[in-house]
Amino acid sequence: MFNNYIKIAIRSIAKNKLYATINILGLSMGLAIYLFGGLLADYEYSHDAFFENSNRIYTIRGKVNSDANVGVGQIDGVQSAVGPLIKAELNEVEYVARTKIREFLISVGEDNYYQNLRFADPEIMEIFNFEFVYGDKSALQSSTGIVITETIAKKYFGDENPIGKTITLDHEHDLTVAAQIRDLPANSHFNSQIILSRPLDILVPMNAMERITDFVPDTNWGNTSMGDLTYVLLPISLDQEWLQTQMDGIFERHVPDDQRQLLDGFLVRLMIDANTAIWDMLGIPVITVVEILGFMVLIIACVNYTNLATAQSMGRAREVGLRKTLGAGPVQLLAQFIIESLTITFFAMALALVVLEMIIPLFNSATGKILAMNYIDTLPWLLMTTIIVGVLAGSYPAYLITKTNPIEALRDTARKGGSASWVRASMIGFQFTLSVSILASVLVVYAQNKQVEESSNIFPKDQIYTLDRLNVEQMEDRHEVLRNEILNIPYVEDFTFSSQVPYEQTSSTINASKILNDFDATIVFNQLNIDHHFADTYDIPIVAGRNISRDIAMDTHIRERGAVNTLVNEMTVKELGFASAEDAIGQVFYEDEGERGITTYTIVGVMADRNILGLFNVVKPFFFFMRDASYRLASIKISQNAPASVVQDIEDAWENVYPDYPMQGKFLDETFQATYIIFEMATKSLATFAIFALFLASIGLFGLAAFMAEQKTKEIGIRKVLGASNNQILKLLIWQFSKPVLWATPIALGLAYFASSTYLEFFAERIGLPYGMLIGAGVGGLLLSWVTVATHAFNIAKTNPINALHYE
Amino acid sequence: MLKLQDLTKAYRTDEVETVALNNVNIEIDHGEFVAIMGPSGCGKSTLLNIVGMLDTPTSGHYYFKNEDVAGYSEAQLGVIRKQHIGFIFQSFNLIDELSVAENIELALLYHDIPASERKERVATVMDKVGIAHRAKHMPSQLSGGQQQRVAVARAVVGNQSMILADEPTGNLDTAHGQEVMGMLQKLNEEGTTIVMVTHSPSHADYARRTINLLDGHVVTESMRA
Repeated sequence: MFNNYIKIAIRSIAKNKLYATINILGLSMGLAIYLFGGLLADYEYSHDAFFENSNRIYTIRGKVNSDANVGVGQIDGVQSAVGPLIKAELNEVEYVARTKIREFLISVGEDNYYQNLRFADPEIMEIFNFEFVYGDKSALQSSTGIVITETIAKKYFGDENPIGKTITLDHEHDLTVAAQIRDLPANSHFNSQIILSRPLDILVPMNAMERITDFVPDTNWGNTSMGDLTYVLLPISLDQEWLQTQMDGIFERHVPDDQRQLLDGFLVRLMIDANTAIWDMLGIPVITVVEILGFMVLIIACVNYTNLATAQSMGRAREVGLRKTLGAGPVQLLAQFIIESLTITFFAMALALVVLEMIIPLFNSATGKILAMNYIDTLPWLLMTTIIVGVLAGSYPAYLITKTNPIEALRDTARKGGSASWVRASMIGFQFTLSVSILASVLVVYAQNKQVEESSNIFPKDQIYTLDRLNVEQMEDRHEVLRNEILNIPYVEDFTFSSQVPYEQTSSTINASKILNDFDATIVFNQLNIDHHFADTYDIPIVAGRNISRDIAMDTHIRERGAVNTLVNEMTVKELGFASAEDAIGQVFYEDEGERGITTYTIVGVMADRNILGLFNVVKPFFFFMRDASYRLASIKISQNAPASVVQDIEDAWENVYPDYPMQGKFLDETFQATYIIFEMATKSLATFAIFALFLASIGLFGLAAFMAEQKTKEIGIRKVLGASNNQILKLLIWQFSKPVLWATPIALGLAYFASSTYLEFFAERIGLPYGMLIGAGVGGLLLSWVTVATHAFNIAKTNPINALHYE
Repeated sequence: MLKLQDLTKAYRTDEVETVALNNVNIEIDHGEFVAIMGPSGCGKSTLLNIVGMLDTPTSGHYYFKNEDVAGYSEAQLGVIRKQHIGFIFQSFNLIDELSVAENIELALLYHDIPASERKERVATVMDKVGIAHRAKHMPSQLSGGQQQRVAVARAVVGNQSMILADEPTGNLDTAHGQEVMGMLQKLNEEGTTIVMVTHSPSHADYARRTINLLDGHVVTESMRA
């Protein structure tokens, strides 16, 4: 019997290939999105749960002042001065540990590598129960002992026991391996980061930081970086709320006023939620939304299936009537129809899994997460989903068709339910609202991103090749040698050193004042350490005064001198209150450097405003000075027609000058892309979603059209007999099919308007709201709906009315 | 009014050709009341569909008001049809979602008639068939006889000169059947040409002429005295 059902189901699918294909595609879209949502949620919720204390480890986050104009609402860490305050003031806290990631050149024996190190307070070993292969948790107690993971041990020391081995930082500072821990699972916040993937490789004691880098963590209020977390372990008796209250107090008592311009509060958060922090920055509970959306999409797909199947089942009333007269009971008929929908769902599930296998790697590479479909563990879930969806989607049409009286069914006068038609129409309207609004938002986001990309072309980013990590003392002596070597290469047009290059999302600021000794009302300036070739290399015109020069002593910043000539941009001229760039020449401003005394800056030239930070930032006030030290980067301008081999020439030149240091070179465009990729990802994922949603909505509309086609055959026949022409019928049908889409469009555009204005808020240089695009999306949705229903409408319109009205 | 000359209609499926009408020659004058009779499958409905211009003949000529419409396109036929021909069906074929008055008005919607005149004509014709008190009702609230009266009203509201009735009493009981036949007779007396397919000899008696079909041929034609 069961085999017979399956056989009939497969034959019926084969007979109605179009309907079956549409049904399978629609359901598989719904299933794929639902499964993906589930997978993502599961991944996010299981994150870090394997640490013994996971439910009482907290991280302290920074709440970003909304006036700071940095485009995010929160950052995942706080200044390193905060940790010691917690330790000193909150006795109830069990342990506090800060981490700080820095990249170094490390040498193991003869070999050199660039490697991320994670500086950490030794308490981190108490907070997290790392698994030790060698050594124990006292490893970070000495200031030279480090902890490495299995992967790192293997990479640097092979299979040997690494305890007691030495690694050297920047050819200068020796550290000794004191413990080896097992690698952490992929779904730990230590390993997954959306923007920079910097897995936990090596732990170094925090108290080594000052010695190695001249950064003083315990008193530093001026530095926060993504991924530098501060952990707190609370006893079971205390909760998040308690810690939040305490942290509010610490903020009030200790955070210096000028730092409140960036962070205006601390936020306490469970460590297991750390990985979802990226979503919080956007201010939306994305995981929950993804889960709910996935579920809703699946429901919509089910309803679409039900619509289409109900429409289709009407054509089979006769078959059912016949089966009934031959003795089929309601149970057998129900079983037949439900097995049919189960078969469809089964195919849809298979297709959904194929789609998932294609999407997951893309998602992983874009987000740095490591989602994977584990078929063995998820098999019960997949099976249950298939069965529930199949039964749910199939039961309404099955019920409808099996309850009809066989005589009525054979006579084909069965009343075709119309009361639920507004529900169907609203479902379609809802789907179109959703998809058109997403489509419109995608267009806006896309246009804004294009704008960002275009305005980034103000710098010749394809022509500038940058060299990183030059600010090492041993390298500085030979900076000029490098410059000369590289300028000798054909096609190289210019060369400059600087502390930062455009599009890097870091900034260094000072508080300066126009009035000597009055530092109460200071202005915040971004500073950039450059040399005399910077303006030429980056094509920035000098609008007043002169460029800085090597030939004028006061143009070079020497700390002991307490005064230097400087270039400013036009924005700084405005901020300082000078009427014009010319007026600013020769004027001075001051910076109070505390113990180091007061530095006097004399403006000798004004550079045109260029958005150095780019992307979503506004042009900020900058000043530029030349200090022949702490140049982290070099920028090489290559002529437009240069062959690709010029990069090799640069590498050869580097080898000659710095044989001990690997070259860290890349085009400026890559620096831009590193951040721009986030915006691109937003567009791509939205676009994917929009395509899915539009596809589903179209399937829904197709189902509705098929359903109405069945319902309207008689009416259309009558109208034609009464003299309606094919065109009049076509117009009538298109109008009826378009109604849900028509009322959906203004709602959708309203939503899109709201969503895109919110997105545009992120950007300093905004496009005007593209009304044309919004309307285009609406018209696009309408056209799509017409294309979808056109075949149906055309077929109904041209049928000979006698087919519909015949009484036999 | 109309003349069918050597009219043939054949249906072709993959392998079999079925001849529904074979060399039919019929002439119907203006103001006639003609009944078409015959067993199931004899071609009655096919004939009516061709006369009603819902279907086209395979060969032969169909002169409607001296115009050979046999080769006309669907659209051309539609124009003639809506001006001259009204239809009545066995299963009434009213639109369930429209009220009685709206169903009748439907026949005028495709005639470029202003709304006020439409209302007037619908009201007149409803009076004529005695359904005015049900104007706002939906078809499902009416009895079969009442529904068929609405259908009759719809068939004549456009001042059609010919009504084609396909078993108009087939779904009605005797009393209601008589009522509808009386109405058709009255329309005929007022000058409307009526062509009716029926199985009922007693209803065929309302007609002045009866055409008997068998296997696609006209076998007998009889005139009532």
